[in-house]
Amino acid sequence: MTILVRPRARASWSPHAVEIAGLSVRYPGPGSVLALEGLDLAVAAGSFHAILGPSGCGKSTLLKVLGGLVRATAGEWRIAGGRRPAYVPQGNSCFPWLTAEANVAYGLWVQGRPRRERRAVARALLASLGLQEFAESYPHQLSEGMRQRVAIARAFAVNAPLLIMDEPLSALDFQTKIQVQGELLRLWSDRQATVLYVTHDIDEALTLADRVSVLSGRPGRLLGTIEVPFPRPRSYRDVRNQPGYPDAFRQLFELLEERSA
Amino acid sequence: MQAQAVRTVAAGVLLPASLLVLWQVAAERGWIDALFFPRPTDIVARTWEHVRDGRIVTDSEITLKRLLLGFVLGAAPGIVLGLAAGTTRFIRALLYPLASALYVVPRIALLPLALVTFSIGDPARVFMVAFGVFFITFFGSLSAAEQVERNHVDTARAFGASYHQVMRSVIVPGASPSIFTSLRVAMGVALIVIISVEFLASNSGLGSFIWRRYQIFDFPSMYSGIVAVTVLGVAINALLLMLERSLLPWRR
Ligand SMILES: Nc1ncnc2c1ncn2[C@@H]1O[C@H](COP(=O)(O)OP(=O)(O)OP(=O)(O)O)[C@@H](O)[C@H]1O
Ligand SMILES: [Mg+2]
Repeated sequence: MTILVRPRARASWSPHAVEIAGLSVRYPGPGSVLALEGLDLAVAAGSFHAILGPSGCGKSTLLKVLGGLVRATAGEWRIAGGRRPAYVPQGNSCFPWLTAEANVAYGLWVQGRPRRERRAVARALLASLGLQEFAESYPHQLSEGMRQRVAIARAFAVNAPLLIMDEPLSALDFQTKIQVQGELLRLWSDRQATVLYVTHDIDEALTLADRVSVLSGRPGRLLGTIEVPFPRPRSYRDVRNQPGYPDAFRQLFELLEERSA
Repeated sequence: MQAQAVRTVAAGVLLPASLLVLWQVAAERGWIDALFFPRPTDIVARTWEHVRDGRIVTDSEITLKRLLLGFVLGAAPGIVLGLAAGTTRFIRALLYPLASALYVVPRIALLPLALVTFSIGDPARVFMVAFGVFFITFFGSLSAAEQVERNHVDTARAFGASYHQVMRSVIVPGASPSIFTSLRVAMGVALIVIISVEFLASNSGLGSFIWRRYQIFDFPSMYSGIVAVTVLGVAINALLLMLERSLLPWRR
């Protein structure tokens, strides 16, 4: 038997970490719902790309397609390099029966990595998020903000080139949110990863992202993408003082309003 | 904190203690027939005699052995098949109809069948316990597996977990609190089954102990058998709770 070995496409060959063309998703069943329809999207490699859209427009569905959890009904999508993205699901996704450390190491456990490596990676990530003292704590012993940090650390632990995050900071109070935003940006730039980030908060999108795409109401389609030209490193506070801020805010606001028109 | 715990225990003891005192007084004053309702102090004395002459201890051991053997033989396949049916459509379709039909058969109605199948003896009694325990843990584990949070299963799958990894890292731990609940229910049923079976088809064990004393109208001894069953049940339940606490440290 002859085995043909083909060279794999490499992420660096493509300017795009993710390409999506004409993506439609219909949830089957009696109350069949068309969640996404003909969605086009390109995410530049190494960028922080935010997705805004009204509730129920299919943002989570989009990430679930990329995460291999939901099948596309029509259209095509491709992740450069073909590696599984690291996923921060919407809501409380920490496993209650695992300690913070074991939660962070979960993806490495799935990959069958040795215990020492799992432990070292998880400890380092927890420390970089200020959670070193809570490695042995169970999720119910942590605050909401700590749990979200654990979920973020769990995604970074597998060192995937692409991370997909579904409103990871939406449950946090204002101050915690700003703090975790900073930690998230630092991890992202250290790893030189690509992040596709769902949020419903315009200011958060403008603080974090290089580009922001806005989806229409259900079924979700792409209404437009804007560039966020603010220099980095950024913080929630100085982004608002950027000369381009009012204009960017207005553009996103208007795109979001379009859904009702 | 300490005082709170003392008060909780005191509140729990209050009702049974008052009932016992009432019983004692009623028996002494002749308000109730002392033949059927002997004084609690007499029951305690009789129980102590049976403990010292070893009869009640031997019968407790026999009942405990049958109970635990039947419990394990019923619960182990019940949990495994229940989890499999709760996570695999085909296995569910295969097992659910038959299991639902068998579940509603009153368990004691199967005793004659068990006796002829296994001939007389412990296997038949152990089977009766196992049969009752199996269905409770099967349905308990099935619905426990189905109710594991979707978000957790999805998270595991998104990280690339295989069926076995999802099973081990999400379904089993996620379902285990409900499985433990069904184990406690099953233990209650197992106790009823083994005592009933020993009433009808055994010369040994606590059920037989109680039944024979009843037939010769030795009511104080009959009550001491009931005391032994109660002690057994409470002890096993406490053991299950301890096991649950140590296996599920993440529960509040
Ligand atoms: N498993 C499912 N089965 C059927 N319909 C679903 C399922 N999941 C989502 N939907 C439907 O698909 C649509 C899009 O859902 P999705 O969760 O992707 O929205 P979303 O944009 O993430 O909303 P939110 O901002 O509230 O999180 C909704 O109308 C929802 O009811
Ligand atoms: Mg969502």
